[in-house]
Amino acid sequence: MKPLLKVEDISSFIGPFHILQGVSLEVYPGEVVVILGRNGAGKTTTLRSIIGQVPPARGQITLDGVSLLNMPTHMAVRAGIGYVPEDYGVFDLLTVEENLKLAMRQSDKATLTRRDEVLDIFPDLGIAYKRLAMTLSGGQRQMLSISRALVNDNKIILIDEPSKGLAPIIVERIQNVLMTLKKKTTIVLVEQNFALACAVGDRYYIINEGRTVLSGTVDDLIDDTALQQTHLGLVLT
Amino acid sequence: MTAKWWLWAAYAVALISLLVFPHVTGVMMRELIGRIFILAVFGMSYDILRGYTGIINLGHAAFFGGGTYIAGIVFTRLGTSAAALLLAVALAWAFAALLALIMGQFAFRNTGAGGVLACAMITLAFGEMVRHTAETLREFTQGADGLTFVVPVIFRDRIGMYYYALLFLVVMTVLLRQFINSPTGRVLQAIRDNEQRARFLGYDVRKYKLLALVTAALAASSSGFMFALLTRFANTDLLSVQNTLNALLFTIVGGTGTLYGAIVGTAFVQLVQSYLLELRGIHEIFARWQIFFGAIYVLVVLYMPLGMVGAFLRIKGSLARWRTAGSNHTEAGE
Repeated sequence: MKPLLKVEDISSFIGPFHILQGVSLEVYPGEVVVILGRNGAGKTTTLRSIIGQVPPARGQITLDGVSLLNMPTHMAVRAGIGYVPEDYGVFDLLTVEENLKLAMRQSDKATLTRRDEVLDIFPDLGIAYKRLAMTLSGGQRQMLSISRALVNDNKIILIDEPSKGLAPIIVERIQNVLMTLKKKTTIVLVEQNFALACAVGDRYYIINEGRTVLSGTVDDLIDDTALQQTHLGLVLT
Repeated sequence: MTAKWWLWAAYAVALISLLVFPHVTGVMMRELIGRIFILAVFGMSYDILRGYTGIINLGHAAFFGGGTYIAGIVFTRLGTSAAALLLAVALAWAFAALLALIMGQFAFRNTGAGGVLACAMITLAFGEMVRHTAETLREFTQGADGLTFVVPVIFRDRIGMYYYALLFLVVMTVLLRQFINSPTGRVLQAIRDNEQRARFLGYDVRKYKLLALVTAALAASSSGFMFALLTRFANTDLLSVQNTLNALLFTIVGGTGTLYGAIVGTAFVQLVQSYLLELRGIHEIFARWQIFFGAIYVLVVLYMPLGMVGAFLRIKGSLARWRTAGSNHTEAGE
């Protein structure tokens, strides 16, 4: 099987700082790949390089065989990537409805059906449909952010730390939602919450100091406590 | 009777008052109100940029003044026939659209933190280039002396011109309202809130900004054209950065991002300016109306940052919430 998303040895700079110095990963259709690593390892920059916000200086990125290199962000997104940024990326001064409409790249029957399905997955959003996004809680904003990626027929969804700053009970809901989504789409998930990452992920990549240092199945990672301590700084109890 | 009924009744009373107004008032006041109608569209065009897209354009007067000058030059050179009028309108719109496209290509090149400042500086430079060009092309524009011209016969009747200006304001308000409520308008508001987030949804931010600039330029140019029909005079002050700041003042006083705020702001600024000038007889300090305006500007920015319409909408929202809370409390008590 050919990988849906292939990142080959990319090198990216933010200003003068050389953040990514050799990140590679492959994502196959229908799987959830989690990117793990300590703070500042380059996980978010990897996602931003894929969507062209931090264009790589070297390496190659392909989505379904099409090169995303040198593609501006809006074009990369239109190539079939749903991006859920870590700060949610919702528009505070627009309503939930307007946020969803804005995300819908088409208004055909299939898109409207997907929107209705999204509202079934996130009933909170249906209740707050006419409310301004600024009045939503952190969890609801995250749900709205994920919903916007789901209303389009995207090939892959990149989700950046969906549990960040949320209460444990909300994280549990997000986890349930991700479990539902993994049956529908291909996901790349950047996550610091190890339990959440293990619950939803199929395979993992560990990034350290801007380089891919390890990869494998999540089941193997769960069993290997020494590896968790070495690369992720998880304390053994 | 519902609140909506009252609203329609208020609109009807306002419209009838405006229709009757020129027959019950003096020439000066009639001219002033006609001027407010036209300048309000200039203010609204600026609100499309500043209030709805987050663009600071310091060369916006080039579109307004360009419309005025093109009308004047065409009427002076080609006469005031219907064909000349149509040609003048077409040239004014073509000039505005072309200038906006060129200006936007440079102004929207930079993104990120420095983008807003770069945009302001580049648009200022374009505005000054247009003003300087108008000053040097004396053969056409009469330079700093200003260009006086005659207008087509149908616009010579002063009361008739008042109604044309009113019609212009109504039509442009409806059109611009439609524009900002359209899906494109929603994208512009998203860009205003956060450009990067709009890109994450797949929008070509630069293209949408260009669209906003061209739309605002056409509205400002139309306003400048109507201003030419009203005043029958053009000078380079109309192209100056001061005139752009007037549009900014209209929107800030009235309320940015509200569209109607520009109408209220224009009326307020023009009426207060006229009133202060009338007070010259009491004391000569009132001739320096800019001093008072500076003070008003500072007070509005400090104590009414949302402007008049913005403050009104906020109070209205608070009252609605208070009423809802009150009715919920009563129901709970029952």
